[in-house]
Amino acid sequence: MADDKIESVKSLFTAKSAKVETNKGEKYYENLYAQCRERLDNLKKIVPVSNNIKIKEAIEEEGVSRRDFLKWASATTAMLMLPASFTPLVAEAATLMNRVPVVWIELQDCAGNSEALLRSDGPTVDEIILDIISLEFHETLMAAAGHQAEKQLEDAVETFKGKYLLFVEGSVPMGLNGQYGTLGAKGETFIDHLHRVAKDAAAIVAVGSCATFGGIPAAAPNPTDAKGVMDVVNGKTIVNIPACPANPSNMVGVILHYVLTGQLPELDSLLRPKFAFGYRIHDNCERRAHFDAGEYVEEWGDEGAKNNFCLYKMGCKGPMTFNNCSIVRYNEGVNWPVGVGRGCIGCSEPDFWDKYAYERPMANANIKAPTGGVEKTVDQFGLGLLTAAGIGIGIHAAASAVAGKKDKGEA
Amino acid sequence: MKKGYKKVERMTPAMRIIHWVNFFSMIVAIATGLYIAAPYYQTLIAEPAVDKYVMAWNRWGHFIVAIIFDVTSIVVAYLYFFSRFEKPYKKVLPTGKNIKEFFAVLVNLITLNRSKKFDSSHSDSFNTVYFTIFHLLLAFMLFTGLQLYVEGLESGLSSIGTWWPSMLHIATDWTIPFSHFLVGSSVQDATIMDVRIVHHRIMWVIIVWVVFHIYYQVWRTIFWQEGDIAIAFGGSKFVKEDKKAES
Repeated sequence: MADDKIESVKSLFTAKSAKVETNKGEKYYENLYAQCRERLDNLKKIVPVSNNIKIKEAIEEEGVSRRDFLKWASATTAMLMLPASFTPLVAEAATLMNRVPVVWIELQDCAGNSEALLRSDGPTVDEIILDIISLEFHETLMAAAGHQAEKQLEDAVETFKGKYLLFVEGSVPMGLNGQYGTLGAKGETFIDHLHRVAKDAAAIVAVGSCATFGGIPAAAPNPTDAKGVMDVVNGKTIVNIPACPANPSNMVGVILHYVLTGQLPELDSLLRPKFAFGYRIHDNCERRAHFDAGEYVEEWGDEGAKNNFCLYKMGCKGPMTFNNCSIVRYNEGVNWPVGVGRGCIGCSEPDFWDKYAYERPMANANIKAPTGGVEKTVDQFGLGLLTAAGIGIGIHAAASAVAGKKDKGEA
Repeated sequence: MKKGYKKVERMTPAMRIIHWVNFFSMIVAIATGLYIAAPYYQTLIAEPAVDKYVMAWNRWGHFIVAIIFDVTSIVVAYLYFFSRFEKPYKKVLPTGKNIKEFFAVLVNLITLNRSKKFDSSHSDSFNTVYFTIFHLLLAFMLFTGLQLYVEGLESGLSSIGTWWPSMLHIATDWTIPFSHFLVGSSVQDATIMDVRIVHHRIMWVIIVWVVFHIYYQVWRTIFWQEGDIAIAFGGSKFVKEDKKAES
């Protein structure tokens, strides 16, 4: 654990954070293009193992036109910070998505990230693509249960050893030796489950705030000692896609980047892909002008709210939150929290529930019970007072002893 | 000059300029900082956004005084060790003489001037320690503030070149884990919000520091009758000549 901390401090000192290189020069992209071309040609030769759905058919079935698909391809190319010349490659990579096996496990979570993908009423291209990836295991979606399901997981891990991408949704409860969360017929703890499946994964993608930084289960007082995947699993390539829920566009972006280049995208110090988490929400917010002008919504439904004023005084955390919501938005660009007039709660930042989501400016966020909890305060205050009294008595007794001696000496 | 009193120089013109620059910067930094933290006055809704720039002006003012603080802090740090007038670091070294003087001054304060067993003509150890605490707090504000500032320069570009954000990252990224340690959390991953929380809380510590500083200097002026309050303005105070000889 201490090593991890040292590592995280080290990574902060290497100034890997924040800086985003949006243009790496012509030569770099030429090389990358050739590399991607070769990779895609190799992938084409592989016959998909278990999933033969063709993206073209799937898209037509869902009623998305080819034009929409190409629009999606160019938007995704831009999102991944690649030049426009990569658009055909991205479209091609999308058709090859079923060549990369994916294992999806759920730990301490609400299945919100799975829900975000599956339950939208009009599936977006991102969501269709997530439907046709070679999903070898997903507890919530599969028909199998119990021993059968476990057999399936073992088979998938065995067949695709070292090749599959492991998606993890949910935090890892570390308290009570992991007994807060067990699953399967054998009652395996989440910790063991994660370690077993992670061992043979090509890379781990932690989706959602719980899997990345512990999320809501890790909010104070964190009864289960919940942790994110990167604080539990060592020695593996990990990509974090935080947010509650994680944006399907960013999940697809990461898989697509992997299919396209065979590598994971560039990450920041919190292991988040820079293409999605390199900039603050604030930088591209449509209400930014009102922030600078000092025009704020003072209370819900007031004149400012009707005029789409800045939500900073209602606790919007856009200025401190790194995510691409304000650009990519949700559900194929339909809308996003600030757009609907309710402010950002910083759901993609570590410890967001305690430090971001209190819906008022940080300086006014005194929402905890006085000094951290009623009983806790009384207990600690009592102990403190008793200690102070003890020290006082000690000093007084010592001083009396000294003074007493003096008197005797004088007498 | 009162008879039997001697004039002692305590602050050079440069020190006094720094003192008052810091004084005005502090007022601006707190007034604008409180607005940035939670805008406490409203702009007129009837005016269109194009005519006002209230938050932007507040941030502008905050950053300008921050940069002034940066520069005066560098000058103060230099004078702390290399001043030809008086090197403050000599007064905070834990030598027997300094420790004795520190407690003598403290005793003078808590006994309400009933005991005064030190030479009050020069800068004493207690005041120098107090001065040092202030500058450490201020330095921490500068590092956390610059971290919050560079957070908005994600592209790595700035009007004066790419070296500036890069340098700020190298100089201030340590404040993220450090602030996380100070704030405490149920999660082990540090977040930029920790820096913001610490930056805001240290402001209150500095305000408390200022309150005591002003109180104490006024108290000295009243109880010692040596004109201490004049040091910050005229640069000198007055001590009884015989008293000076005695210690």
